[in-house]
Amino acid sequence: MLILKPKKDFEVSVEAEITPDLAEKSEEEIKNFEVWYGKYKVKLGELFEIKKEGDEKKLILDGDFSRVKWIGRGMTEGEIVVKGNVGAHCGAFMSGGKIVVEGNADDWLGAEMSGGEIVVKGNARNLVGCAYYGDLEGMKGGKILIEGNAGNYIGEKMVGGEIEIKGNAGDFIGTEMKNGTIIVHGDCGFVGGDMKGGTIKIGGKFDLLPSFKKAEDGWIGDVNVGGEGKIVKI
Amino acid sequence: MLWIKNGIVIDPKNGIEGEKMDIFVKEGKIVEESEVKKEECKVIDASNKLVVAGGVEMHSHIAGSKINTGRSMRPEEMRVVRNVAGKFRAVVGRVLLTAPGIGYEYAKMGYTTAVEAASPPIGSPHTHEELDAIPILDKAALPVFGNWHFVFKFVSEKDQEKLQAFIAWAIERTKGYGVKIVNPGGVEKWMYGSNVRTLDDEVPIYGVTPREIITEVVKANEALNLPHCVHIHCNNLGVPGNYETTIETMKLVSGMKNENRPVLHVTHVQFNAYAGSSWRDVSSGAEEIAKYVNKADNITIDMGQPIFGHATAMTGDAPFQFTLHKLIGARWSNKDTEIEGGAGIVPIVYLPKNPVHALQWAIGLELGLLIDSDKVVISTDWPNGGPFTEYPYIMAMLMSKRMREKELERVSPYVQKASSLPAIDTEKTLYEVIKMSRSLPAKILGMENKGHLGVGADADIAIYNINPNEVDPSAEYDLVNKAFRKPAYTIKDGEIVVKDGELVAETWGRTFWVDATKKVSMEAIEADLDEYFQNYYTVERINFGVDERWVKKPARLEVS
Ligand SMILES: [Zn+2]
Repeated sequence: MLILKPKKDFEVSVEAEITPDLAEKSEEEIKNFEVWYGKYKVKLGELFEIKKEGDEKKLILDGDFSRVKWIGRGMTEGEIVVKGNVGAHCGAFMSGGKIVVEGNADDWLGAEMSGGEIVVKGNARNLVGCAYYGDLEGMKGGKILIEGNAGNYIGEKMVGGEIEIKGNAGDFIGTEMKNGTIIVHGDCGFVGGDMKGGTIKIGGKFDLLPSFKKAEDGWIGDVNVGGEGKIVKI
Repeated sequence: MLWIKNGIVIDPKNGIEGEKMDIFVKEGKIVEESEVKKEECKVIDASNKLVVAGGVEMHSHIAGSKINTGRSMRPEEMRVVRNVAGKFRAVVGRVLLTAPGIGYEYAKMGYTTAVEAASPPIGSPHTHEELDAIPILDKAALPVFGNWHFVFKFVSEKDQEKLQAFIAWAIERTKGYGVKIVNPGGVEKWMYGSNVRTLDDEVPIYGVTPREIITEVVKANEALNLPHCVHIHCNNLGVPGNYETTIETMKLVSGMKNENRPVLHVTHVQFNAYAGSSWRDVSSGAEEIAKYVNKADNITIDMGQPIFGHATAMTGDAPFQFTLHKLIGARWSNKDTEIEGGAGIVPIVYLPKNPVHALQWAIGLELGLLIDSDKVVISTDWPNGGPFTEYPYIMAMLMSKRMREKELERVSPYVQKASSLPAIDTEKTLYEVIKMSRSLPAKILGMENKGHLGVGADADIAIYNINPNEVDPSAEYDLVNKAFRKPAYTIKDGEIVVKDGELVAETWGRTFWVDATKKVSMEAIEADLDEYFQNYYTVERINFGVDERWVKKPARLEVS
């Protein structure tokens, strides 16, 4: 297990592609692991206090990580626990393992992830489980659970897996989604634009596009693209 | 001064076919042995290596608003980092590259000259800004004429004098190199919601037809005796059954002759070589086209070979791009270039298992194989057919039936019935593929000092790690494919820019442009220019075009 604590308030963003694999390395290697501090390449040890306790594949990020981006990028196994808030792109491209964020998450949480699990105890911002601009597929598998609220663009171009939001969400939920499930327990805005498949379940109020037809248990669309996606009330 | 020692030279223009020779370079030119002081020469040991002229790219989209829009609308292309700034400049791009990368990647393949194949005239300042950002290569740009209202007007008036004066004026103003025509009449007609479908469909208002536009423009080009022939992207591109239009177009110049070069170059013919009546029954029309081209003595083509993987369709053929967008559902950008035409951009992926894509791949190769090697040039129409960095693959495929058989195993079986590729036994020789990538494109472009290694030629040289007298490209296709990807040396204007496949120096090439203004009387068109600029352009006439002093290293070619 590896415990990281920021040494200071960061003036600029840190880009740190750290995964639980790091916990297996020697303390020396961990300290020298290269990250970006704004435009400067620096060593992990310059920005964070490092404490290693055994070889378990687990990272504890203790403190404010809201300006630290790309945490858990592409991780395949192990666990990351963020005690506070976390920066953008957390869990992007991950394929396995678990990330727990005890505070809030920034944009691009779990973007294009294909497996594993992310739990956010607070709120998440925009672009959860989305495809990066230009890419054809967003989230492909795994699960994202947000216990608070989420922003706009949730599960854009999603092709698999599940996103569950306990609170409210913004606009553009499941745009161009092809498969998988999005659950919003609270209210949200426009839903399912250009969706081809998959299911969106909503507990509260939402804005229905005119391009969905009524079905027995909800609505089917988006008819503009010959879609057979489902919107269901829960 | 360079002394390239003991290389095995293939130089088709000068009839040299695998001879052991020395080559001498002084002040950026290839010179006689007696011209250099050997003790002052840097010696390059080329023993057992293939020595050829630097490659000449005659049709690629290397600069201008289309490629730039492609870059902006494809962030996923721009996420691939190829080179971090340091000794050389930063380069990003998967298949679409940023400007420095274009120069670097061509040089890393042994290519030293490249021509931008479709420059919107009003966008020529932008085209030249980007050409100026491409290192190493010598460059040129072809402005597009086929939908320009001036051309419609002078063709409708059957006024050759005005048409010639206009072409000379336009090439000078845009610092262009020659005349490109894209879907003549069709782009204008699309502005009214349709397209031309035959050579005899009329363009709205002007009443001219593609047949008239092509014929008159070729006549003007020949009367001006421009170095490059008319370079045409035919009507009906990407439409099943279009091979007939392509042959009809070629027939328009029958009987015309130029001593030094063809009178018509038909580009990326793969996209214009489809038989059948729809995408369901589409098949190859390559054999028919090959028959016609082989028989004609005044036509050349380039392949437009698709490469499996990512590509971006970008042409001045705006209606085709819209059709493609509707067909595959990918993103689409449209450009309108005032009274000159338009353009469109659509991302595409060529998949080996997709029957249509596999057929397109097969047709490109059929054209390369069935057409005489002094009439067909290697191209992917980058980025339309995919990366130009795959030219070594194309060369190896043309030379090896075994490699083709192996590749055929992984593509859709649709090509077995819809194309003749599986039955073609032809294997081009090394000499032939060198011709198809060097001396032939140079000849078609009218670039006398390019594409060969004779005395007086520019010292643009590529040296590869294969001995043409020992290698068997038919069997050793992997070796050939690898060797062409990694030149032992690329030499540009006598300077070593690539060694062992890696960049070692960044140089700056010239931008060739053609000045034929002395051959015509500008007075003939003064009033027309003024009228159209006043009434239809968003810019004043005085602000149109590019001054020579704005270009980094202009090289003016005066036509007399
Ligand atoms: Zn082209």
